[in-house]
Amino acid sequence: MRRGMWDREMVAALLLMASMPMVLTWLWFGGVEAIGRLALTLIISGLWHMVFMLARAQPPSLAGALSAIAVAMLAPEDLGLIRLALGISFGTVAAELVFGGWGRNVLNPATVTIAFLGFGFPAEPWPEFVAPVIWAALPALGIGAMFGILSMRVIFAAFVALGIAYYGGDPAISVILPTAVLVLALLVTDPVAGASTSLGRWLYGGAYGGFVVLFAYEWEGAAPVQMAVSAAFLASLFAPIFDEAALALWVRRRRKRHG
Amino acid sequence: MFGSIFTAGLIVPRVGPPLKPDAPARHITDEAAITPAHGEELRVEPLVGDGESVAQGQPLLRVRAMPDMYLTAPMAGRVAKIDLRPGHRLSQLVLFHDAGGDRYSFDVSLAGQDVDELRRVLQMSGLWRMLRSRPFGRVPKPGAIPAAIFVMATDSRPDAPDPLLRLWSREEEFSRGLDALSRLTDAKIFLCQAEATSYTGAPPAGVSRILTGRTHPNGLSGLMIHRHMPARVDASVWDIHAEDVADIGAFLENGYVPATRVVSISGDALREAKRVECQPGADLRGLCQPILRPGPHAVLSGSSLDGRPAHWLSLRDRQVTVLKRDTTSKNRHWFNEALDHASRRAPIIPTAALDLAFGGVLPAAALVRVLASGDVEGFTRLGGLSLLEEDLALADYATGARPRLMTQVRAILDRIEEEEGVA
Repeated sequence: MRRGMWDREMVAALLLMASMPMVLTWLWFGGVEAIGRLALTLIISGLWHMVFMLARAQPPSLAGALSAIAVAMLAPEDLGLIRLALGISFGTVAAELVFGGWGRNVLNPATVTIAFLGFGFPAEPWPEFVAPVIWAALPALGIGAMFGILSMRVIFAAFVALGIAYYGGDPAISVILPTAVLVLALLVTDPVAGASTSLGRWLYGGAYGGFVVLFAYEWEGAAPVQMAVSAAFLASLFAPIFDEAALALWVRRRRKRHG
Repeated sequence: MFGSIFTAGLIVPRVGPPLKPDAPARHITDEAAITPAHGEELRVEPLVGDGESVAQGQPLLRVRAMPDMYLTAPMAGRVAKIDLRPGHRLSQLVLFHDAGGDRYSFDVSLAGQDVDELRRVLQMSGLWRMLRSRPFGRVPKPGAIPAAIFVMATDSRPDAPDPLLRLWSREEEFSRGLDALSRLTDAKIFLCQAEATSYTGAPPAGVSRILTGRTHPNGLSGLMIHRHMPARVDASVWDIHAEDVADIGAFLENGYVPATRVVSISGDALREAKRVECQPGADLRGLCQPILRPGPHAVLSGSSLDGRPAHWLSLRDRQVTVLKRDTTSKNRHWFNEALDHASRRAPIIPTAALDLAFGGVLPAAALVRVLASGDVEGFTRLGGLSLLEEDLALADYATGARPRLMTQVRAILDRIEEEEGVA
């Protein structure tokens, strides 16, 4: 009879709140240019949410703002209005809205947008981040994990994978590590696109860390953001398989125990 | 990890005043009724007519399909009316209380030796109906043989009366009831109790104890069954409340059907929350009327999570919840109203709250997905056959899911039941 608070919009609002330390720091150091970029991504993604609300009766979600933020922060620079608008439209519509809105999507729309722009316009420079923005990703992860909207398992697994490589002692990893943490907070920990079983979450976080390490060693000439986003994209493609494997294992273990 | 002994749960915020620790006072309401359990179809033959005086425990209705199954009077009184729907389906049988009434005595002298006789007297006395069989959550068939019986000496629902409080004084009856259950079938019997307050009596051999967590939903039989002995269509698992086991023990001792059960009354439309001892099928309005706050309210049989609006206390319920009813009409914009009607409901986001609502032992997101898609095979694979509505009530509450998961699980169970031809 009574209804609790963890419905879709509440989770989206909390995710937005959790990302605030990171976003505000980024805006503070990015100045007018960053504000303009964020406004642009917000408007375009908002427009598409409007279109789908009017045409398909899909109520818009605050999560749209979340992916707009991620795109504004991570997409390649100097794209110009048209190309950026094209990329966001593709990501928002094809990765989220056609599936029925946030919560029914398979991939994170921001990841798809950024990967699309990165592959489509490989010559454009990738953004770089000042240290305070990176540090602000840690409280963002902390707040999210505290409220239970970000999975602690994903965060731990990713940090373990990255940490092992870091203390393994190759200079290549220390260049990408800060950006990898930022992308972890912005894209990887998304509760919808990530894995949803506990073993699946460990594997998913570990896979993200593993891909980052792999790219750091083997992918020459790529920018840190490019590597981290590609790792996030690949890991989220694998997430359903991890879930399926975890479920199959769980069912098998139960069958063994209970016959 | 999956299947660990770590028990996780959610703390549900309290609604209304806290439950008073006093011993439950006896409160027999002026009216009481025999009603079918929610969703149960009972084709009955009345054994009494309107206006007849009946004794407490006297068989009043005979179930047509099962020759020895009776429904008995919850209190001594006079039959007010018998409502049957077409096809002799019971709607309700209402009784008026008669304070000087008699108690009906059953002959239980042979039940001690003969198992068939034990089954027969339990079915005659209506105590058989306190058993619940999973999958599907029905009263077990007279000749059914379970794979296991779970005796729930704990209840973690918010404001639920602690079964142990009553068991302290009834240890002997409880042991006798457990003994009867173990004689009933060869099935394994599990006694589930919360960690801190343990029933100290010596249960008969063959009864294994399970310690459950104290936070909801760890005290629900569904999760215990899912974890320790999953129910299957060909291997049903029964569960029964510890107080009912003590009732069976008392009944087998003297032949009288116990007249009362402990029920807690709570909710935010009340001035105080308390426990009472009332008859089964008690009139809910009569129970909560003395402590009601003025204003519109809704009376539920069951807890604030899984309760249903009802007039009479339902078959296995031990809680009454009275909630304030919000009558202020929200002045919403026509567009939002229209969007609400036209849109598909927002999906559930897999968060820690959802995982904990299943005690962390079930792959919650996967279960919610198979429920939403009506995937019978996936539901069975995840052990959904051990679950009933009440086991999803907390997830319903936590996520504010719509359509409610309780409705979804009932729909899928009904479908499986129909497909299997068990009904």
